[in-house]
Order: sequence, then structure tokens, then C-alpha cells
Amino acid sequence: MKVLVVDDDLIVIKSCCKVLEAEGIEIESANTVELGEALLLNKAFDLMLTDIKMPGQDGFEMIKCAKQIRPDMPILMMTGYLTSDTISNIRRLGVKNYISKPFTPEELIKSVKTALNSFT
Amino acid sequence: MTFNIIKIYSIRFKLIASLIVVSLLIGLISILVGGNLLYKSVLEEANNRIRQDLNVARVIYDERAYSVCLALEVAAASGTEFKNGALTYEQEPLLAGLVNELVNMLQLDFAGITDLHGRVIVKYGYTSAKNSSPPETTNPFVLSVLKNNNKIAGTSVMEHNKLLEENPLLVNRADIKDVTITQKNASSSDALSTQHRTALTIGSAVPIIYEGETAGVIYGGFLINKETEIVDKIGETVFKNEIYKKRNVGTATIFYNNLRIATSVKDSSGKRALGTFASDEVTSRVLKQGEMWTNRAKVLDDWYITAYEPITDIMGKRVGMLYVGVLEAKYLDLRTKAIAIFSGITLTGVVIAIILGWLFTGRIMSPVSHLIRASAEISQGNLSPDIGAISKDDIGQLQEKFLLMTQALQEREKRQKAESEIRLIQSEKQASIGKLAAGVAHEINNPLTAVLTFTHMILRRKDLDCEVRSDLETVATQTERVRNIVKSLLDFSRQTEISTEPTDVNQLIEKSVKLMENQALIKGVNLIFKSDKNLPLFLLDRNQCTSVFINMIINALDATSSGGKIKIETQGCTINNNNGVEIEISDTGSGILPENIGKIFDPFFTTKEVGAGTGLGLSVSAGIIQRHGGTIKVHSKLNIGTTFTIWIPHKLLNDFIKSDNSKEVLI
Repeated sequence: MKVLVVDDDLIVIKSCCKVLEAEGIEIESANTVELGEALLLNKAFDLMLTDIKMPGQDGFEMIKCAKQIRPDMPILMMTGYLTSDTISNIRRLGVKNYISKPFTPEELIKSVKTALNSFT
Repeated sequence: MTFNIIKIYSIRFKLIASLIVVSLLIGLISILVGGNLLYKSVLEEANNRIRQDLNVARVIYDERAYSVCLALEVAAASGTEFKNGALTYEQEPLLAGLVNELVNMLQLDFAGITDLHGRVIVKYGYTSAKNSSPPETTNPFVLSVLKNNNKIAGTSVMEHNKLLEENPLLVNRADIKDVTITQKNASSSDALSTQHRTALTIGSAVPIIYEGETAGVIYGGFLINKETEIVDKIGETVFKNEIYKKRNVGTATIFYNNLRIATSVKDSSGKRALGTFASDEVTSRVLKQGEMWTNRAKVLDDWYITAYEPITDIMGKRVGMLYVGVLEAKYLDLRTKAIAIFSGITLTGVVIAIILGWLFTGRIMSPVSHLIRASAEISQGNLSPDIGAISKDDIGQLQEKFLLMTQALQEREKRQKAESEIRLIQSEKQASIGKLAAGVAHEINNPLTAVLTFTHMILRRKDLDCEVRSDLETVATQTERVRNIVKSLLDFSRQTEISTEPTDVNQLIEKSVKLMENQALIKGVNLIFKSDKNLPLFLLDRNQCTSVFINMIINALDATSSGGKIKIETQGCTINNNNGVEIEISDTGSGILPENIGKIFDPFFTTKEVGAGTGLGLSVSAGIIQRHGGTIKVHSKLNIGTTFTIWIPHKLLNDFIKSDNSKEVLI
């Protein structure tokens, strides 16, 4: 199992690594959309976790990009500021799973599992 | 603006109209009463005058006879021809000269001298055959003298045969053309009746006295038939030949019986109107009863004010009538003139009424017009319009009341402005706090994620010291608290939109009440909901409104101690012409301190213990109600209770149902 985490804040990446690696999940991370795109082009991932608000290209660009490269890959969106606009926007891009920051390890694991299951 | 234009219902129009009606009425009465009075008095005056005129005419008429008589008397008394005793036929040549002289002097139609037995010695215009015995005269004047042995002067009738005897030339003069019979027959003198061939004469006869003895009789006279001198003299003397509209004002006529034989009345072609008859009424009154008759009468085509009196002949018999008349048109025109003058006065009155009415209403209506303009200005938003000077009359009271009204309006607007300013400040406050929250939340959430993650990950370890575990759990709990605060902040900043659906307000509140019933039960507070069953469906965001109601009930529960009461009541209510629903949530709790009343809707204001509330509940609730177009008000008395009153307007459901009728209407 391999998961790509995209977030401009390294502490978030680190937190995700801490929780998911404990669950036996391999993590690759990117702090920019460009890096995330490069990773997606070169490697296969079972899931992508992405933040929305990022400097430069944002999470929506990341989602669009991922949907182009790997349409079958499930995506879990995470955000510190969830609004109905954000939800409707990611829905339009074909993403229905999201998690609000901050989250506990249990909440993250549960969301990741839900996202994976929704595509199998 | 067209305030100055007369409108049919305007006071100005009504006033002017009534003034016009009054002046017209007065004018009309003046015309009718005055015109008639004037006419009557003028007519009476005319009747009086015509009677006098008739007297003058009579004098002129009689004077003719007397003048003949006088001349005859002079001739009889002074003639040298009569110095030979009784007159005889033999003296004829001598006497003929005298007669001719008299005829020429007096313009007589007939004249002559008889002997004392009435035998004609000389007859003017007549030369008898000398051999035959002289005829006995038939002249009525001579006969009268012979009978009474006294002079006579006056009128007499001379029938056709008498005229023929007197002087055949007179016959033609006496014949009056009968205008009542046809033209064809009129040419024949045979067709004329006796009346038309009989002459009325004025004449005189005087006895010739010689040495105390009657020596003969001298006589003379005129035919009145077709005579113009008398009637024209009357016209000249009495009426001064006055002409009115090409007609003689005054006319005179002499009738034989009822037949016009001499007249100054002219027909349309300018010919004297001889041969016509007087009316039956006049004939009967004047000729038969011998009365004087004065009245208006139609003579030929014109109306005259007329006077008739009988003419009596020397025998005392009524044989004809003397008539004078003045043209009525002259007097009628006087009335017409009077009516014209009255009409002029009336018209002037009307004009004055219009001017007066205009000026008067101008004075009265000026403050009213001011008020009308002021009202228009008020309706356009100017609440301090110019209403002009306050007048001292009744309208002044109206102006004062109007002034009071504008002041009240100004105060109300001031109040509303202040209220809306407060509302604006409130929403600006919310917006800025929302922005701040959104910015902060994003930044805080990332480190919070790390704190939560790492704390929980450490807590998973089994080898932790009890004390460390306990401390870590405190960190986890407090981090959760921070997370909740941030979540509230975000919730607060997120409330920017509402998604409404047709909703039964009562059902929505009922649901919230049910959710809170258990808590109320535990606390020992009586939670009552009283609904107005006649409410329509409202367009509401169900989730947000539910959170408002629950928030309100929680606040009430917190404030109310055991045994207290919380009452929720709905009622249809209209504010500023908008229908809506009023939801009242009242408790018997501790109440709100007066100094806090103004702050309770501020974000982060709370009187609850630290950690028990974020202070955003009421602020969020107020925001939700405002976004529904409604208002929320609070009324509180310390230690007695607090009442929150929410009002939500009823928006038209039609548009919503049209676009989205597939949605379920009820919850």
C-alpha cells in the first residue's frame, strides 16, 4: 500500500507519516503541486492525500492533475477550512472524501480506509 | 406640478362655480323682475301718453271744424253781399264769388249758400241750370242750422247720393277701395258697399242774419275720406314725425264706423292703409259702447300701443273713431336695452366672481397647496419640507398638525437610521471576525494536527509512566478544546449563505423542543411550546434555524433554575406591512444584567464559565435570523426572566415552488 501526501506544511506531512506508517502504509510526500505531479507520473499510488490551500498551485490543481494521470486512484482531501464551496468544488472534480484539520490519528485512519474502500 | 390648474373637483372650481351661480341667479332675477317692472311702467307711461296724444289729436280734429265755422261766421257777418235782406237765387253770381273765395281760402271740399228755406243758391263746383227751380239742399250741416236756427260745426256723414248732390266730383274722393275684396272686383265701383262709398265730413254751417232775420245759410266743409292733412298734422304735432327703424313712431287714423278712411299708417309698400277695418273688439267697445279704448293692438304688421275714441256727428250719433298709436317696438326695444344692460351687469358680476373667487381661493388655498407640495416632498423622502407660514385660521390648525406629523416622521426615521446603523455595525463586526477566524484557523489547524497526532501516537505506547500518561491526556483534552474553539470560530465565519426550503415553522420548533426535552426534564424546567396553527409555510434554512432554536433553548435552560419555565410561542405578525411569524422564547430565569444587554449579540461575549461557551451562539443566531430577513430582539428583567423575540418575514413561496416543486415540503 502506497500513499502520496501533498501539503505545503511539513508538520502535516510528518504527522500523516507518523500515523499511516504505524499502520504499515508506505508514504511518499510532496510539498508542492509540481512535485506531486512528478511523483504521480513516475510512481503508482493507491491513494493521494492533498491539502487545498497551498501557495502557488493549490489542491484543486493537484486533484485535476491526479485525475488526468491516474483517474482510478482514490483521493482524500484534507483542509483546515472546510466550506460548502470547497466541498462542491471537489465533488465537481470527482472527489467525495474529505477530512477536516485538525484530526486525531483515529480519524485519519478511518478516513483513509473509507476513501480506499470507496474505490474498491 | 399642476396645482394651479383648475380641476373640476378643486375647491377653487367649486367656490368660483358657486359665486357664478349666485351672480347668475341674482342677474336673472334682476332681468326678469326689473325688466318686467320697467316694461310695465314704460307701457303704463306709454298708455298715459297715448291718451294725452289722443286728446291733442281730438283738439286738432275739432279745430278743423271750428276754423271753418269761424271763417263762415266772419263771412256771414261782414259780407256786403248780405245787405239786401233774404237771399234769393237772383243773387247767385254775387254769392258765387264769395263761396269761391272761401273755398280757396279754407281749401274746402264743399261749400255753398242756401236761402232761408234751404234752397241752394250757390254750390261750389256746381252750376245748376238756371231755368230749373233751385233744389233743396240735403247738406246735413245746413239742415241742422235750419232746424235749430243756430250755427253748427262738427262731423257729419254724407252718403253717396248726398255727395253726388253736393258735388259729383266728391264721389270719387269719397270712395274707399275695399281692400278686403279681390283685386279684380275692386276696380269696379259697383262692388263697393254703401259704407265704402259714404264719406265722413267735417264742416260747419252758419246762418246769415240780416237785421235780426235769417236771410240764408252759408256752409262749407271737408271730406275726411283720403284726407291726409288732419292725420299728418296729428303726426307732426303729437309725434313730431319721429321715425323709428324707418317707420313712423306715431300714427293717426280716422274711421268711418270701423273703416279706415284717413290714416298715416302706411303698409309695407308705403301706401296709406285705407279701406281696412278696425278689430271687432275695438269696434264694439268704442263705437257701440262709446268708451275710450287704450291697449296694445296689431295694426297691419306691427304692434302699436293705441288709443281709440268715438267720433260723434253733429246729431250726437257715433259715426266713427279717432285713433292714435305709437309703435310698441320702441318701448319693446327699451326693454331689450334694459335686459341687455342687466345682462351686461350680470356678466360683469360673473367676471368679478371669477376674479374674486380666484383671488380668494388663492389666499385660502395657498397654505393648502403648500401642504400638498409638502406631502409630495415627504413621499419623495424629504421629511422637513417647507409648509409656508402658519395661517391664523382653521387651516393653521391643519398646518400645525402636519408639522407635528413631519416631526414624528423625522424622529421615526432617526430611530430607524440608528437601528440600521447598529445592525450594520453588528454585521461588519461579524464579517471582520469571520475573516480573521478563517485566516487564523488555517494557520492554527496545521500545528494542531501535529499536536493531536503526536500526543495520540505517544499515548498509544504501553510503556508510559503513569504520570506522563496523565499529563499527555491533559494535553490531548486541552488540544481538543482548542480544536472546538477553532471549530466554533470557523462555523461562525462560514455562515454566509442560507439554503431555504418551504418549512412549517411549528414543526421545526417542535423538533428542536423534542431534542431539548430530556435536558429540561433533568434540570427540572418546564418546557412549553404553544403554536399558532394558522401559519403559512416559510422559506427557511432548516439546519441553521434548528441551531438557532436549540441555541436559544440551551441559553434559556442555562439561565433558568429548577422549577422554572421556558415558553416558546409562535404567532402570525405583521411588521411594516410585511406578514411574518413571531417566535417568542421566554424564560423565568436570572435575566440579563442591564449593562450586558447591549453586548449579548456580540461575538465572543459570554457570561458563562470559562470553557462552558464560546460566546458565539447568540451572535451566530442573530446572523442566521438576519440572513432570513428577520429580526431578533431581547427583553430582560433581572431575576424575573428574559424574552427573545424572533421575527421572520413570510416570503412568497410561488417562485420557489415553480422552480423546485419536486422537493418535499414538510420535514
